[in-house]
Amino acid sequence: MALVGLRFRLEARATLGSRGRALGLVFALPFLALFSALASLGAFALVRVVSRTEPGLLLPALSAIFTFLGLSFALAPLLAGVSATESHDLSRLVAYPVPLATLVASSLVANLVQPSVLALVPPLVALAFALGGPRWPLLVPALGLGLLLTVASAQTVGIALHALSRRRRLHDRVLFAGIGAGLLLSLVPVLMLSRGGASARRALVALVERDIFALSPFGWSARAAVHAGRGDFAPFLGWSAAVLVTTAAALGLSAAIAGRLYRGELDSGEAPARAARARIRLPGAIGALVEKDLRVAWRDPRLKAVTLSGVIGPLLLLFVLGQGSAGGVGPVQLVLVAGMAGVGVIGSNALALERDGLGLLLGFPINRLALVTGKSIAVVVLRAPALLALSVAALLFAGPVTAIAIATVVLVTQVIACAADSYLQILFPVPVPAAGRDPNAPISGSRGLGAAAISLLAMAVTLVAAAPFAFLAWLPEPLGQRGLFVATLPLALAGACAVYFMAASGAARLLLRREPELIARLRGEE
Amino acid sequence: MEDPRGEGAEGGGDAIVALALTRQFRRQLAVDHVSFRVARGRFFGFLGPNGAGKSTTIRMLTGLLRPSSGDAVIEGARLSGDLIDLKRKIGVLLEELPLYERLTGEEHLLFAARMHGLAAPEARRRTQELLEFLSLADERGKLVVDYSQGMRKKLALACALVHGPSVLFLDEPLNGIDPVSGRVVMDLLRRLTARGVTLFFTSHVLDVVERLCDEVAVIDRGRIVAQGTLAEIRAQRELAGDASLEDVFLKLVSADVTREDLSWIG
Repeated sequence: MALVGLRFRLEARATLGSRGRALGLVFALPFLALFSALASLGAFALVRVVSRTEPGLLLPALSAIFTFLGLSFALAPLLAGVSATESHDLSRLVAYPVPLATLVASSLVANLVQPSVLALVPPLVALAFALGGPRWPLLVPALGLGLLLTVASAQTVGIALHALSRRRRLHDRVLFAGIGAGLLLSLVPVLMLSRGGASARRALVALVERDIFALSPFGWSARAAVHAGRGDFAPFLGWSAAVLVTTAAALGLSAAIAGRLYRGELDSGEAPARAARARIRLPGAIGALVEKDLRVAWRDPRLKAVTLSGVIGPLLLLFVLGQGSAGGVGPVQLVLVAGMAGVGVIGSNALALERDGLGLLLGFPINRLALVTGKSIAVVVLRAPALLALSVAALLFAGPVTAIAIATVVLVTQVIACAADSYLQILFPVPVPAAGRDPNAPISGSRGLGAAAISLLAMAVTLVAAAPFAFLAWLPEPLGQRGLFVATLPLALAGACAVYFMAASGAARLLLRREPELIARLRGEE
Repeated sequence: MEDPRGEGAEGGGDAIVALALTRQFRRQLAVDHVSFRVARGRFFGFLGPNGAGKSTTIRMLTGLLRPSSGDAVIEGARLSGDLIDLKRKIGVLLEELPLYERLTGEEHLLFAARMHGLAAPEARRRTQELLEFLSLADERGKLVVDYSQGMRKKLALACALVHGPSVLFLDEPLNGIDPVSGRVVMDLLRRLTARGVTLFFTSHVLDVVERLCDEVAVIDRGRIVAQGTLAEIRAQRELAGDASLEDVFLKLVSADVTREDLSWIG
């Protein structure tokens, strides 16, 4: 119990110490209560309706739903990047003379009483009511076993991720894969609801009808509950025992991994070194800064994932816009998406992304306009996947000339957005965790919500400021004079660059004045 | 010694002049009107217990932390003036080692050299020499994130040295470094002072400070409690002529080294 209490105290301190997390919790609790109430009603209604209309589907459907929920929980440590948080980190406790099984069990108890897990209890009770009627008290423990298995699985995954994190390169890859998988999963509902999602929906229904999810241990507690509700006690006991054995196996696996992990048996030696001599190919201090930023971004799993996911944003927006219009994707949609892709530069938080290196960077005696410009160039280059994706889409939908014009609109908006973002980076930096560490870890001095509000304002200002140049770049298209692109595209780009340098000069002066404050803010000293 | 108006601070042979430097963090006064002068080419030890204000003073002197009040002049460049000019003249090794973890050691040093305005061939030459000198050549292709604490310290020191600064601020430069590398670093620091570089050095290893430093200042609870050569401080405090720096230090910071027994230890 002392260990569970310690865990709660640590989490309470982390939450209260971070304004963003505390606010998040304040917003999340009513949402969780609402979710719990709606899920309870939904579960009750779903079971009653399916029992009446399609009684044969009840078992496979519940198995599928429980499997989906179980997998969501089990993969949460990977998707949310919590592999390095205290939830599954026993490393500071193994020094004490407490058996490993006790540590694992205490971690399980602490995880069971998390708000997100407790919110699932009312829907499970409602489900027990709906399935069992007067026999509901018998069903609740069976469904509870399923919840226990789900949480135990999440814990096993979390501890396994800790094991992987002993090797930095592997940990980076897991983090990268987790962010990528999370992004792809977030696209699933959009794709399912789209016009092309019908076949995917049919495939899912076919899988449910064939009761394929009977193979999933996460669905076994639901099967036990259904059988108990029907008065079939032998299968009820069988499925319940299966869940119990699987849960014990998950816990045993947790303890085994933890045992090997903390004895150092899973350490895998030194990371390999690069053999080639290092070179900085780009000229001057700006070149060195740009090259440094690009290398660091490529080797930081989180930044790499964000950079590569830049391809998805504009394409998804085009897809959604294409779904909404009868004629598919046209020039108007392309220009709209180009503008949105351009303002995506806002919120780059480039100076805060220097992390500990900011003190070093600001210790260099380079001209601050060069520093701001170097950062902006790196930001634009890192957004190249979005530019490329949109240009290819424009090439496919509207031909090569329009593709060049669209690329110019993106660039013009990006350049103006960089100017606005230079001020945001200095005035509203948001601290970020170290490369390869938990992206959701609380950071002292975080100003996430304020920065988000200011970013929205800056996006609006950018769109207004970039509009004349984007209009100039696009003008030959509505005029039907495509030959004019030869003049308008360079002119628009030059105009945007001129605005950039005027604004960036001011940002450079501001940076020079506020350097100590910027460092102090990111160190949480303000 | 103290010149509150800072007049004439740029003149003479002083490399560092601190003028009533003060820093307050919320309600805590970390550094309280600290003033001192360090002559050019001196090896200056800045000592104090944990939390006394050493690192805060270094961060203020190097332009990384704005003083709540006061000023400083480093090689003629005022802290309240052109910080770029000041940063051109100094090299800094901070205790927390701000490094880019996702660059290799060699890339990192090369980057630092280029950011100091060195031409590419010169930057490459100095990078190779420093890596060899600090025994990092075999690890040059490893990412900094995979470096040990000692290797990071040596890399950060190399970054502070690569542009040939005239004043070096070193916050605990020997922490975490093995004895062999420690000897190499100490020899290097001696060579630097012999060539006229001013060293501002903090360390808890008092016998090293005693061997290396021409002059020391002791800070305690944000205030300078003594400054001068060891002999001068002994004389000021009426201590025996053979009192070691450790004896002097403990006396100055009023450290009570006699504690009650922990009876349960046995």
